[in-house]
Amino acid sequence: MNLLRYIAGRLVVYILVVIFALTVLFFVPRLGPTDPVEAMLAKVASQGAYMDAAQVDALRQSLADTFGLDGSLWDQYGAFIKRIVLTADFGPSLSMYPTPVMELIRNALPWTFGLLLTSTLIAWVLGNFVGLLSGWKPNSTSSRVMEGIAICLYPIPYYILALLLSILFSYIWKIFPLTTTIRGAPWSWELITSVVWNSFLPAMSIVIVVFGWWVISVKAQTTALKEEEFVRYARLKGLGDARILSRYVLPNAILPQITFLALQIGLMFNGSLITEILFDYPGLGLLIYTAVLQGDFNLLMGTISLSVIAVATATMIIDLIYPLLDPRIRHR
Amino acid sequence: MTTTQFPKRRGRSTLMAVALAITLGGTMLTTATMPSFAQQMTDVGTPRAETLIVDMLNARVGNPTNMNMYQQGVTINQGYHQMAGALLYDIDTAKGSQIPDLAAEMPVANADFTVFKVALRQGLTWSDGQPFSADDVVFTDQMIRNTPALSYSSAYAAQIASVTKVDDNTVEITTTKPTPRLAIVLGSVIYGNPFHVVPKHVWEKEDAATFTNFPPVTISAYKYKDSDPNGTWFLWEKREDWQNSDVGQIVGEPAAKYVLFRSYGTEERRVLAMAANDIDILTDISPESLDILRSQNPKIHAWFNDFPYANLDDPCERGMHFNTSKAPYDDAKTRWALALAINAEQASIATFSGMLRASPIAIPPTTVLMDTYHKPMAQWLAEFTLEDGYKPFDPDYAVRLGERLRSEGAAGIPEDPEALRNLLGVGWWKHDPEEATKLLKAAGFTNDGGPWLKPDGTPFTINILAPADFEVESQRLAFAVANEWTQFGVPTQVQQMQAGAFFTAENTGDYEVGSYWGSSCAITPDLFVRMEGWHKDYVRDNGTPASSNQGRYVDDELSALIDKLRAIPADDPQIVPLGTDILKELVQGLPVIEMFGTSKFVPVNETYWTNYPSAENYYEGPWWWWSNFKFIAAKLKPAAAQ
Repeated sequence: MNLLRYIAGRLVVYILVVIFALTVLFFVPRLGPTDPVEAMLAKVASQGAYMDAAQVDALRQSLADTFGLDGSLWDQYGAFIKRIVLTADFGPSLSMYPTPVMELIRNALPWTFGLLLTSTLIAWVLGNFVGLLSGWKPNSTSSRVMEGIAICLYPIPYYILALLLSILFSYIWKIFPLTTTIRGAPWSWELITSVVWNSFLPAMSIVIVVFGWWVISVKAQTTALKEEEFVRYARLKGLGDARILSRYVLPNAILPQITFLALQIGLMFNGSLITEILFDYPGLGLLIYTAVLQGDFNLLMGTISLSVIAVATATMIIDLIYPLLDPRIRHR
Repeated sequence: MTTTQFPKRRGRSTLMAVALAITLGGTMLTTATMPSFAQQMTDVGTPRAETLIVDMLNARVGNPTNMNMYQQGVTINQGYHQMAGALLYDIDTAKGSQIPDLAAEMPVANADFTVFKVALRQGLTWSDGQPFSADDVVFTDQMIRNTPALSYSSAYAAQIASVTKVDDNTVEITTTKPTPRLAIVLGSVIYGNPFHVVPKHVWEKEDAATFTNFPPVTISAYKYKDSDPNGTWFLWEKREDWQNSDVGQIVGEPAAKYVLFRSYGTEERRVLAMAANDIDILTDISPESLDILRSQNPKIHAWFNDFPYANLDDPCERGMHFNTSKAPYDDAKTRWALALAINAEQASIATFSGMLRASPIAIPPTTVLMDTYHKPMAQWLAEFTLEDGYKPFDPDYAVRLGERLRSEGAAGIPEDPEALRNLLGVGWWKHDPEEATKLLKAAGFTNDGGPWLKPDGTPFTINILAPADFEVESQRLAFAVANEWTQFGVPTQVQQMQAGAFFTAENTGDYEVGSYWGSSCAITPDLFVRMEGWHKDYVRDNGTPASSNQGRYVDDELSALIDKLRAIPADDPQIVPLGTDILKELVQGLPVIEMFGTSKFVPVNETYWTNYPSAENYYEGPWWWWSNFKFIAAKLKPAAAQ
């Protein structure tokens, strides 16, 4: 019964968070200084097309009609919530009209997810492994070296690191492409190798930067846990290092890391803005950036809503499975 | 100690040796595997020596499989606009005049400019082999008119009443009102035009509102070959029947078999790509990036080989634009005071190290317009006086700036005063803080030794809106001017905005001073296209978007002159005298402090292709992103052939 109440509580909070976030997402861009119709007209004007003022006025009205920006804010909000809830449809992108927002997201999502999931998991596994060992045997040479590398890499500004990698591996030694150049038929071997090849450098830049953080954080956990009474007790019982580390320290040290990993995975739906801009990588981050610059309300709401729902869902899932991982919560 | 340190030192040495080996090995590997010039391939699988690689203006295309140019959010400057499409009329920027493209000659009008005979170029075919004819033009007219879902539909119908077929190669166009400049309405003056003739045999089976036009059937010398599903590159291939295209007839056979438009992302990457010979033509970069490129690769050059390197013929100029409906900027004395508070030499150096041509009038100082307006108006400018009799013009601006640049070590600065004026501008307004003070006081401002107070008694501070991370000249100019006004005693700050917000503020009048440029453009001696926008009829209340005259400037005499300009065609002998009168009126009222032409740093790489247009080879401007680029591309020659 308690468990059911716990699950129901989490679900209610989840739904409220999502509705609140969607509402904020609807109103905030509309209170901002960008009018997507004026942004589109400026684009037309910057491209030199001559139209007299009457023609521009006609175009302005036509764009407002097309973009669904006529009517009061409340009318627009009602239509928005109805559309999202009933059809999960965010409408057409205003800056890339008439391409549907969901199509743009569908195209970008696999890139972002593939890049970030792979690099985040590699960094998480490597970082936690190294951090655990350096926390357990802080004085060993290998621990010191690995920790030294992590501490050196962690504070490097990401922008500098990514540029440095590009200069080294795409300009001086032309090993990886300078920009994303995908070739090959759908699901062909050529396409797969092309994707891996093009994603290697962006992924490496993320792993290098994130790896350091995981090392430092899990090492701190391990160092603290090592002095806990239950670890001393295990040692006094005569258990070996490997067993103490795997059965006593790891399960405790890893708990906060799992929470953080889940949030990281949820945040993936934001894309990795700087990585995608720097490597011209076709993911969600670039979409969000475009949406903000162009005042593309629909695209902005589509991409951010997805991110909000992903983070809320990841948090709920963690809340639901935490009792399985941590007996103390299960007991409570 | 010794025994414990030795292995560590050895370990370090080993590490360094490994690193060096990898470094050298990598270099040797890349050298060893470098194919010969003729064998090199691009990463999209075309022979490098046969491929012209061009930087895409707006970076990656978000919806790459949509090339329906009539859908409002579709980008066609991935090469369709520059290489595959064609307009009825295009522009020759070197001569400053329009040229017939799909049309065989310029339109022939009736007496009141409402009915036009348009002869079409004969012998053209679409890329699928179907002939181009008057049916295509008539169909395009009907399609736009009868598809209200296209945003352009209502704007088009407001201007064009009908298009009817006379014979296979001639159409008759009727306008809704007298239109002395039909070629401007349906052809390119700057960049392009929304009226694209489409192949009837393809589009008549489709709904224009939803058709993606991918892959497109093209009319010019190139056809679609391949592209990246993520929109980072687009490959265009020369048509086997290129003779049946506009370019084939006007210029001849283009040498490049392929033209690859591609995005390299950030400026750093674009610069790296050109330094590595991976790209032949770059769109706008900063002067600092050009310095890097010139030092890295001797095959790279910009418009001028020496100072000022940049092309100075961009059709828009930069300056400080006022919302003249808002106090205290509604008083010409305030605007003039702020102009005289600027040290233009200092602003030029702070913006682009002096690599700018100054302009005191409301059109850019391009080669054509310098000869037509700037130089002929120099005498009038020198004699022009403000209400108090003060002569604000400084004809020696270029001479002083030239001396200063020479003294600071800039190479290639001429010594002859006339040559300097040709290079840096006919002159600008004096830097005269005393006269500026006098004018401000005459406008009701007060200053008792402390900060300036506005006529209403509140402190006078200025907020300049400026573009953030785009249009770098306007962005930097805003900071340079803010510094000048602050030094004069008016605290000034710059508020940077992203494009959407920046232009929304301009159109809705939600600004006082902005580093804009849209109304200060011209390319031909006929100034109609942008000057017409200053008419008082276009003024809207602040808060209501304005389609023209975003400065909300009301000047009855100016509007009367614009009415006269509207009534005459582009080749009327009164065009230049009327244009001159309009420019004089704008100097007197000064709704914009015009400052500098736009300096475009648009480098090219001669490793694979030569005969790019340049200051010494001026057959066209360096407008790689305009519809007339196809004529430039057709004149390039392979470097290997030389």
